[in-house]
Amino acid sequence: MENWEGSPSGASSTARQSPVRPETLVIGGGIAGIQAALEIANAGEKVYLVEKSGTIGGHMAMFDKTFPTLDCAACILTPKMVEIAQHPNIDLLTLSQVTAVDGAPGNFSVTVEKKARQVTEADCIGCGMCAEQCPKSVPSEFDAGTGMRKAAYIPFPQAVPNKYLIDRENCLYAKNGKCKLCVGACPANCIDLDEEDATVSIAVGNIIVAVGFQVFDAARAENFGYGRFDNVITSLEFERLVNASGPTGGVLSLAVRDKRKRRVFLPESPKPEQVAIIHCVGSRDCNHNQWCSRVCCMYSLKFAHLVKEKLPDCEVFEFYIDMRAFGKGYEEFYDRIRGEGVHVVRGRTATVEGSGSKLKLRTEDIVNARLLEQELDMVILSVGLEPNAQAGELARMLGISVDHNKWFIESSMGAAPTETSNAGIHLAGACQGPKDIPDTVAQASDAAARVLRSILHGRAEPPLGSLLPRPGTTAVPALDQRSES
Amino acid sequence: MSRRLDPTLPARLREMGLMDNSKCFNCGHCTAVCQLTEEGFAYPRQDIRMLQMGLGDALTERVEPWLCYYCGDCTKSCPRDANPAEQMMALRRYLTAAYDWTGLAWKFYTSKAWEIGVLLGLALIVVGLFVVPHLLHPGQIQWEPLDGGVAVSSFAAVSWVHLGDMVMLGLLSFLLLSNIFRMGRRILGAARVPIPITLYLSEAWHLVTHFATQRRFGKCNDKEAYWVVHLMLMSGYAIMFLLVIVFLSSLQTDVGLNWTTLPGYFATFALLYASAYFLRGRWQKSAEVNRYSTFSDWLFPALLFATSLTGILMHIFRYYLTWPAGTYVMYVIHMAIVVPMLMVEVPFSKWSHLAYRPFAIYFANIRSKALQAAQKTQPGSLGVPPAVSNALEV
Repeated sequence: MENWEGSPSGASSTARQSPVRPETLVIGGGIAGIQAALEIANAGEKVYLVEKSGTIGGHMAMFDKTFPTLDCAACILTPKMVEIAQHPNIDLLTLSQVTAVDGAPGNFSVTVEKKARQVTEADCIGCGMCAEQCPKSVPSEFDAGTGMRKAAYIPFPQAVPNKYLIDRENCLYAKNGKCKLCVGACPANCIDLDEEDATVSIAVGNIIVAVGFQVFDAARAENFGYGRFDNVITSLEFERLVNASGPTGGVLSLAVRDKRKRRVFLPESPKPEQVAIIHCVGSRDCNHNQWCSRVCCMYSLKFAHLVKEKLPDCEVFEFYIDMRAFGKGYEEFYDRIRGEGVHVVRGRTATVEGSGSKLKLRTEDIVNARLLEQELDMVILSVGLEPNAQAGELARMLGISVDHNKWFIESSMGAAPTETSNAGIHLAGACQGPKDIPDTVAQASDAAARVLRSILHGRAEPPLGSLLPRPGTTAVPALDQRSES
Repeated sequence: MSRRLDPTLPARLREMGLMDNSKCFNCGHCTAVCQLTEEGFAYPRQDIRMLQMGLGDALTERVEPWLCYYCGDCTKSCPRDANPAEQMMALRRYLTAAYDWTGLAWKFYTSKAWEIGVLLGLALIVVGLFVVPHLLHPGQIQWEPLDGGVAVSSFAAVSWVHLGDMVMLGLLSFLLLSNIFRMGRRILGAARVPIPITLYLSEAWHLVTHFATQRRFGKCNDKEAYWVVHLMLMSGYAIMFLLVIVFLSSLQTDVGLNWTTLPGYFATFALLYASAYFLRGRWQKSAEVNRYSTFSDWLFPALLFATSLTGILMHIFRYYLTWPAGTYVMYVIHMAIVVPMLMVEVPFSKWSHLAYRPFAIYFANIRSKALQAAQKTQPGSLGVPPAVSNALEV
């Protein structure tokens, strides 16, 4: 057998002279990338974790609770994030994007563009004086636009790295060369507004793609009135509104307009008395995305619970097409929500219109074959999942395939769900298709196992037999394309 | 009472232009987006579901397909591209065939050969009726202008033409009314309560107003222009009907123009313009309603257009060119188009929707009020709880 028998701990694996480089690149710092990176690093191998934004955590960091257990999302995620930051085997590159990949399976050379943070990571003490002084406010991405942040900011208090950064798109100094208030305010003297972007080259044996998803832009489905009505909100906005670290401190209240006519959520604002949750926004719709986004039914049920928890007298309606509660404990969760007095109505909402100070929604109550016109204070749009906008470009760079919807294609749905057509390049999480957190974590661990096998075995290619059948034969049949008129 | 599913129904209706209806996953978007859906009358989702299940018999109890005026909002926003509006159109064809006891409507909707064959056969009979008597008794036709005008009566005696009109009126009325009777029996039978006889009279008013104004059309989105042209067609049609049935002796005189000329011109223009408008719309597929056209959708406006055109040509030959031979030939062609058109379209095909639409509203309201009355007199004692307890908003 190979020499790995002599080093079961995996220590000093470079000494094994394996044709597969022991370092691994993980692209994307959401829960999938975090899980995969930790699995590999804890097995003793080196990982480079590249994240586009200023912090790892991804979408999961924005969530309040996870279904079906209603565990606090941050309680699961933040310890893993901290572990990433402190792990001796992990090099974390935030504000970074892969721009070129060369080489062959087992030995890739990767170019990473690292945008300047303009705050020296090693020196920043996270005091926040820079943000306090910064005069420029913009909507916070982390709060899905429900709250504001400064141009000098930290995405959220538990961000990893727990360091501030300068958002050059909005920095007044970057725009017109004047301001520098943050530089003066910084007690650690760690802000360099002239710091420039850098290019990093790394050599790795395997790459795990974990770039995740983006949510459907609710404004595209004009019939639901997102953007026209302040109290039509998206699921990510709702997650932030009910989160204790969100803009209202976890108080669910209606949107109002401030003096500058901006939509704001304030804890003291009136509370909604009737809330509707509309499923399948942008999903299962040939005018938008035809696929089922898989997570919306369950997170919508979770929302109903959260509304009831915050406002027990609030009437909550769920409008769904088909209820997909297919995982372990999911059907039980659905039962529980109905038991909490939530009105679950079968029927796809057609329109949301303004009706005085309220919203009016039209749906067919299919079970009774009757038209419903329901007046509401707040409508939550359960937006679906879409492939990351950069998936196509990344696929070209890596020499792997995406399907016609731009989800990455796995080698074999049944036998090798995390392998790709290119050996040494693996998939983890929702970039391969819509996935919930339990499935994402399981898949990320699978990708890590395959990477470790290739390192230990000394072969980038998976052993014969594990990849049957070949791509193409297992492709999901495309839903009918909308006929051209 | 249980009902049997008939999985073959959608396949059979495909011959009538029904498209793949397996795409529909019954989300109800179409019902909720429809401007005409109201409490108690939710469509088209339920009708499409019944179609998927093959509940053809139960569908004949529904008025909903006749309440849809095909604005296409449902089809434009359908998340499954299942084209609910066109399915409702196919359902109206199915109902027309289902009401018809002769079985001819089904033949005409599913077979071009049948429809064209019958049209041509009837046309030959019409030509024969004009030509054969003159062959048997030659020498009656005035081939030269008489007193500066064309002596049409020498070719086609008003009394005989009038007799023909009356025979046709009687026959078509019998066929159409018997089909309407069957329609009413199905719809009212679904109430499963006795229908107070006074309701037939008190609700008759809606029958008249809806037939004359088709005002539910106006509730549809972006159908105003369509509604106006449709009304124009109807008014032209009604005027021509009156002129031909009641005032034929004034319309077909051997002397010059008279009081019928002006309304006649309006009616002709309306029929010509409107039929051209609908034909052009179908050709250009300009609106949702025009995107899909079956043979029967083309045939009716095409025949109407041809009727108007030959009528105009005959009028020109007669009054402006004073050309007897041309007038007689055009007269025969005109009659050989209009008579088969009416015979086929009125009781068996597209024309009949002019009657079925207002009657559907009429029957629906009678049914609703009968149910309300039954609930009042015998609360809680009904064997079958009423599905519809409110009348249509009119």
